[in-house]
Amino acid sequence: MIRLLLPLAGVVAFFLFSLITVRLLRPKQPRRFFLVYAVALLLVTGSVYVRVWPLDSLDASAGLVCCLLLQALMCLTLWNSFYSLLWGFSGGLMHDLYNDVDLRHVDRLIRSYEGDAGLDRILARRLPNLAAGGYIDLQGDTLRLRWKGRIIASGTLVAFKTFSLGMGGGIK
Amino acid sequence: MISLASAALALLVLQVVLVAFAAAVRPNANIYLTIVIISLVTTPVASVSDTILLGQTLSRDGRVFMALINLALGGFLFHFMTLPDRSVTLRILVELLIAPGAVLSAEGLRRRYSLRTMIASRLDQLTAARFMEVSADQRITLTRKGLWFGRFVTTGRKLFGIASAN
Repeated sequence: MIRLLLPLAGVVAFFLFSLITVRLLRPKQPRRFFLVYAVALLLVTGSVYVRVWPLDSLDASAGLVCCLLLQALMCLTLWNSFYSLLWGFSGGLMHDLYNDVDLRHVDRLIRSYEGDAGLDRILARRLPNLAAGGYIDLQGDTLRLRWKGRIIASGTLVAFKTFSLGMGGGIK
Repeated sequence: MISLASAALALLVLQVVLVAFAAAVRPNANIYLTIVIISLVTTPVASVSDTILLGQTLSRDGRVFMALINLALGGFLFHFMTLPDRSVTLRILVELLIAPGAVLSAEGLRRRYSLRTMIASRLDQLTAARFMEVSADQRITLTRKGLWFGRFVTTGRKLFGIASAN
């Protein structure tokens, strides 16, 4: 069971590398760094594992798969915490409510999200990112879905139906 | 390794099918709680069905690994579910997909998925999860849990140097 310390070490390294990168380099797209670190650390863990515990039995192989899956899951959890909790909508609401007592009223909170030039804070950040990622065409006031966005949206729609998620986006 | 990959795939498919079935039977239930329960319930199955899944018997340690593999797969399903269920970005893409000609104006998008609807829905969920209370005159009071969450996000943003988000 001591081999389960390997994914633990891996995720601690992932956290530290990610933190140092975000704090010092301040990249525009931290996820690219996160992905490189996650993959590299999985390779390191796999390599260390087979040196210490050669794959001479099914138990050893199960241990390797287990370590890699656990490490990947923990890295994904940190990654998701970064994007969904710290950057996400609900996390953002809680941040605003915690730090600004004046916003602790539904109408005032909603007004704080309304933008000056038509787009609210939610759309103003997401639409340019979707356009830059090639998911939509954003021309003036018109949004057009591109093939890349169509694939993602179709998959999402399938997930909505398969798991009875309503219309998603945080709304049942 | 191939038999292990097949076993992991079978365990994942089992969990996905059970979660989809449970969600169809109880569509208003919390999908994340459903995933956790199904992941826990299927774990003993994963650890004792080594001869069926792998064609041979594992040692005690091997069975623990299989149990952890099953739980990790449940964890991946949990994370996956946050994408269609929570993501505003994916909802925007779906709104475009179901719009005539896959085209919308910004105003059209706002009509289908308005800021007020988004915020009201999140506040309802945060209230249901007891992070806050909303009074009849629309005042919001953070509960102890809500204050903890707010502090957590604030500290996390400071730690990672995130100036503004949402």
